[in-house]
Formats: sequence, structure tokens, C-alpha cells
Amino acid sequence: MTLAMVATVWGAEIPRTPDGKPDLSGTYDIATLTPLTRPASLGERQSLTDAEAKVLADQAKAVAAATNKASDPNRKAPPTGGDGSEGPAGNVGGYNSLWVDIGEGAFKVDGKWRTSIVIDPSNGRMPPVTDAARKQRAAQAKVSRPNRGDAFWITEGISPGPYDDPEMRPTAERCLLSFGSGGGPPMLPVMYNNLKQLVLTKDTLVIVNEMVHDARVVRINGEHEPPEIRRWLGDSIGRWEGDTLVVDTTNFNDNPAIGASRNLHVVERFRRIDAKSLLYGFTVEDPTVWTKPWSGEILWPATEQRIFEYACHEGNYSFGGILKGARLLEAEAEKKVKK
Amino acid sequence: MRAKTRVILGVVAACGLGLVFVQVRSVYAHHAFGAEFDPNRPVLLKGPVTRVEWINPHTWIHLETTKADGKKEIWMVEGGTPNSLLRRGLKRDSIQPGQAIIVDGYQAKDRSNRANGRDITLPGGQKFFMGSSGTGAPYDAPGKDERK
Repeated sequence: MTLAMVATVWGAEIPRTPDGKPDLSGTYDIATLTPLTRPASLGERQSLTDAEAKVLADQAKAVAAATNKASDPNRKAPPTGGDGSEGPAGNVGGYNSLWVDIGEGAFKVDGKWRTSIVIDPSNGRMPPVTDAARKQRAAQAKVSRPNRGDAFWITEGISPGPYDDPEMRPTAERCLLSFGSGGGPPMLPVMYNNLKQLVLTKDTLVIVNEMVHDARVVRINGEHEPPEIRRWLGDSIGRWEGDTLVVDTTNFNDNPAIGASRNLHVVERFRRIDAKSLLYGFTVEDPTVWTKPWSGEILWPATEQRIFEYACHEGNYSFGGILKGARLLEAEAEKKVKK
Repeated sequence: MRAKTRVILGVVAACGLGLVFVQVRSVYAHHAFGAEFDPNRPVLLKGPVTRVEWINPHTWIHLETTKADGKKEIWMVEGGTPNSLLRRGLKRDSIQPGQAIIVDGYQAKDRSNRANGRDITLPGGQKFFMGSSGTGAPYDAPGKDERK
């Protein structure tokens, strides 16, 4: 009731705090079928028609219905050598759809169904990477390969191998950060657990990410830590520009999200556009990795869903299994090399 | 059920609009299953559930299998986060010990009795869990197009 009264006084249909700022507090579900980067086939097309957006949503429903159909009870084990699945499924099959929550449609901003989260460059894709970043990614790709169930790094003499040191493994595998850029910044949709809870006070914005339970504490009107203080999610300070809370984040450690470097600088813009949603904008700048800054925008719809705890270290059996598995495969590969 | 990456590709193929909405994020998971499971060791597991570990980052369902020689074995099958199941109205005790299931997947590279839950069904082939939203389940919010 208080919120409604304040909103009336201000003549805007957004909730406001007692001191008149837009109240960003709430829980948001940012899952969407709109991808981070626009498919090349769509070129400069920034939006879908209503009919196209409906087809996309209908097809997603149809696929969900199809995947819920019964399997053959007399099925055999999957094929030896892998099932050909790609990406995280890694040739062994991935998640059933019940574990996944990637949204049910594209999102709309200013009445347009967006074709990508990235809006600058205008082709909806990240700008080219620097030569140094390209070389580093090529080196990484050499050891990040499809799963064949062998220790190729032994037979091919690649050292260090991808499983030599636990600290070489991805931060998500180690339960340190969300996979993708869920915790951000910038905070982007991932495969599941896309809920964000915001709590705003006069001098602080706290952002709780369901995925890996990452929390960011933004000091409003604060100053950045000295450059030697580094954090996994960076150091965030905020300021109000009219009704938009602008959050500036620097001081990342060596492994920020989205493949950036420790020189990453992210500016985020939180703006309540109505009582049920927030528009989240961001600009990413990292001269070590990208040849110019790039920006994106995504609608954050408020939700009545609750964030559940994601205590990643609770039972991360996978990690021990991954490392032990690598040791066994190495022992077998070494035998072959000796022969 | 196929891997989700395949499912998304299916959406694309069916769309016919050139909307190659293959999600960049679909290449990310808590960990790549490819790092953990061995494509050269396919398994088909059948038997009753013995225990459910309702934990993060992944749920593990234990079942007892019987080998051809009558010997019993306990296997663990890896699923996703229980948070997704909670949102769909399932709870830890929704999965009762004794419930017979079939799982096809791949054994862990560490050769322990662990496999990925590539497809978990009841003995008749029906999905043990079904993925959907807006089901009206206790913790399930309406689908986005149902939002008021």
C-alpha cells in the first residue's frame, strides 16, 4: 500500500523507496530464448515479428512435449564411442529437459522482440578480439577437445595437460563461480537457476544470484578499492543518474566471466520500467581481450518464484571423479606410449 | 530424451525462419559431462532406487542392479540441480526407495559405479521426471506467457 501511494505521488507506475528512488528490490527470472549474440543469418535485424516470436515459443513448447514422451523400455545402452552429443553433453549425453530452464520465449524491449542481448555493435555480436586474446584462445582450444575417453595430452606430448592441476579446471567445475556469466558482471542467463534477488537500501544494493549462490554487494556513492584488492566478481560501486542506478565494476581477479581478463571494466544500468520488470543494460570494456567496448540489454521480469540455496560444495563428487578419471586414462595412455 | 543442446538445435531446425537461436550459454554447464564420463563405456542400468542424494551441484540417484550372475551392485546416477525439481513441485521424498527405474548412460572415467542420467525412466519407458513449466505445481510459477 505504501509503495502504491508513493508511486501515485511520483506519477510513475514503479515502486519507490521512502527516499524516492526507484525500488529495485525483488526477485527476477532472467531466463530467455533470446541469445547473447545474434545469429549471423539475421544480420542487422534487431527484432522478430510477433509471428516469429510466437513460432519460437511454440516450437520450444513442442520440443519440451516431445522430450517428455516415453522412451523405449527395451532400449539398449547408448553407443560405444559416444552418442555424438556436443557442448556440455560432451559426447555422453547431457541434461534431460527437466533440469534445464532456458526460458519460454524471446524478450521484448520497447515493444520489440529482441534477436540478441548484445545491442552494440549493431550486428548484435561481440567485437573482434585482440591478437593476444586470439592466440590465447587457440592455445586453450588445443586442450579443450571433444571427449573421446582417452588421455590425448599424454600421447601427443601436450604439457601441461588439461587435468594436471585442479586449479587449471574451469571455475564452475570447482564451484567457485557460476558457469557462463550468471554471476557476472555482466549478469547473463545460463542453463538453469536464472533467478536474481535484489535488495536495495539507501547506500547498498545486494544482488544474490541463485547459481552458485554468488552475492554482489554494491556500495552506492562509494569509491573503488585500491587496484591491488582483487575479487572474483570485481569491486562494485553505484551512483544514481536520475532513475537509473549505474554500477561500475573493476578490480577483477584473473578469471572473470565471459572470457575477459583482469582488466575488465563493466558498467551496468538498472532501471525499473514498470512494477513488473527491470531493464538491465551493461557495457563491457576490456582492451586486453576486445578491440572495442560492447554493450547489451535484457529485460528482467519480476517473478513470484523463490531462490533456493545452491550450495555447490555440498556434493561436488564430479570434480574428484574428473581428476581421478584423468589419472586412470593417463596410466593407460602411458602404457601405450611405452609399447 | 536427448541432450538439451540437441533439443535447442531441434527448435532451430523446426523453426524454418533462419532463427538460429542456438544458445551461447548452452555450451556451459556446471561441468562438462564429457570431462566426467567415458564415451567408451556405455551402460544400461535397471533396478530399484535405494537412495536419493538431494544435493547441489547435482542430484545423485542410487539404484541397485543385478548382474547376469545374480550379483548385486549399487550404482549412482548424476542428474541436475535439485533447485529445478523443487520449482517443479518435486521434493526429496517424491522419489521413493524401491521404485524401479531404467537408466541408459555412460560410466564415469574413474571406473566407479557412477553414470550420467542420460535418460531415466520407469520400467514402462515413461519419463521418471518430466521437464515443463507452468504446471501449477506448489513452487512452480506460471509460464511466462501466463504472467498476468
